[in-house]
Amino acid sequence: MIELKNLYAGYSKKDVLKNINMRFDKGEIVSVIGPNGSGKSTLIQCCTGILKPTSGEIIIDGKSISEYKEKSLARTVSYLPQINPVASITVRSLVMHGRFPYLGYPRRYSKEDREIAENAIAAVGIEDIADKPLSELSGGQQQKAHIAMRLAQDTDYIFFDEPTTYLDIKYQLEFAGLTKRLRDSGKAVIAVLHDINAAFTNSDKIAVIDNGELAFFGTPESAAKSGAVEDVFGVKLLESEFGQYFFTEK
Amino acid sequence: MMNRRIKIIFAAGIFLLILSSLAGIFLGAVGISPAQILADISQSGLSKSERILLYVRLPRVLGTTLAGAALAVSGAVIQAVLGNPIAAPNIIGVNAGAGFFTVLCLAVFPNSLSYLPAAAFLGALAAVMLVYTIAKKTGASKMTLVLSGVAVSSLMNAASDTVITLFPDALTGFSSFRAGSVSGLSLSEISPAWIYILVGIIGAFLLSHDLDILSLGDKTAQSLGLNVSLVRLIFLAIAALLAGAAVSFSGLVGFVGLIVPHIVRRLSGTSENRIIIPLCAIFGGAFVNICDIVSRTIFAPYELPLGICISYIGAPFFIYLLIRKKGGKHGD
Repeated sequence: MIELKNLYAGYSKKDVLKNINMRFDKGEIVSVIGPNGSGKSTLIQCCTGILKPTSGEIIIDGKSISEYKEKSLARTVSYLPQINPVASITVRSLVMHGRFPYLGYPRRYSKEDREIAENAIAAVGIEDIADKPLSELSGGQQQKAHIAMRLAQDTDYIFFDEPTTYLDIKYQLEFAGLTKRLRDSGKAVIAVLHDINAAFTNSDKIAVIDNGELAFFGTPESAAKSGAVEDVFGVKLLESEFGQYFFTEK
Repeated sequence: MMNRRIKIIFAAGIFLLILSSLAGIFLGAVGISPAQILADISQSGLSKSERILLYVRLPRVLGTTLAGAALAVSGAVIQAVLGNPIAAPNIIGVNAGAGFFTVLCLAVFPNSLSYLPAAAFLGALAAVMLVYTIAKKTGASKMTLVLSGVAVSSLMNAASDTVITLFPDALTGFSSFRAGSVSGLSLSEISPAWIYILVGIIGAFLLSHDLDILSLGDKTAQSLGLNVSLVRLIFLAIAALLAGAAVSFSGLVGFVGLIVPHIVRRLSGTSENRIIIPLCAIFGGAFVNICDIVSRTIFAPYELPLGICISYIGAPFFIYLLIRKKGGKHGD
């Protein structure tokens, strides 16, 4: 479990996040939604050790994040940023980099490292492009390769920052299926999403961040009833006869 | 594991390095043939050909090989660390920083050649840290980073000119130092620098996996457990060590660190640094050997400074990269 207690964080002495209290449990998919600039990315950068909080606590599996050494944290929490540079390496080489937290010196991969990387490639369904250079692939294929690298990292908690932005509907659906498989294998999947409809359809919990504060945290059903999403985004909630939620203009 | 293409490129590079080294030894204003050397060996005392070979050509070829290897690896490291394919030691002011401290060292300690590589290293490190700090503080774009380097270069060159003005005897032949020249290079000038270059290249190779991780971007590298600040500092120090050591005896030779890593990445089809770093060392040495042969034979018996010869290739190459980048085709 990752627990955030009275968390404040930001940049250049200005707090973006204010007094966040919430938790991420293993075996759950949590979607973090909120308007642009509300602090969603800041939140997950704090949880992954990229950004140090100005105050408050982040407890991962009973231990403060500050007590983790770099590689130990990287074996517990993985993170896919919004923007990733396109290196001139093959997909397989990129995915193998996911095993870096497990390497000593000299940096030699074990048989187990290679097997885990191959399993990650298979889990994302990119076996056919594994030997191709990233630079020759489409945006969707590159994103899949980056996701496979985080799977190879084999952590209990996986954070994605807008993983489906700019991707077509096929990739979005594939990503939703993948997150469910990861959840079912006992991992915690936390994703910042812009697509509120997808967040409501594919998540176990929704975190709504507004102006740096946690406006709502709970199941999609309770989020729908609370009216938090309608207030924060200025949209209207519709419920289909099958119990699905859709948001439209007010 | 290396694929067949990369093995062929390694073999071709080693062949080119050996061939260019032999050509560098035997070609020049005075032509010396291997048969002549063999014939002279049997005679007592050193013949004119042997003296040219031992005291002129051999130090020169060693110098160009070492300088080429050092500058090419330094360029590859700087490009990976800054995430900027158009960065290179001369473009971001590293060579100019090394040059300034070399001139300063010669002014303060005129008879201490052994201090030069250390002084050049400190100057190169100061310049690269200055450019990196500007980039970090301003969140500068890749192009702004290059422009910062131009500003740092100008500052360092102005400082060098000031030292030369105040201590006119500090560096006789300053113009050839600024142009980049290995003419008249002796083994005593190379001897303090070669160890720096060897340490730098081996260090970069041994840590190449960490450089690959750094190339994935700061956030990803950090999330993989890399101590980004420490590793970046180590690599900037390695890049400065290599460029500084090369500048200390070859002068301000530019563009090697830009051209060679690009060619090597294009030939090998990869940016994995365990491949790129040794290839840069091999091809960098061969490239500067060839340029030096051209520079001393094209207008023989007159000699064009090495740096000028390389600039004729490097400057158009840099413009090509800028145009390619502008056209959005940059993938390296």
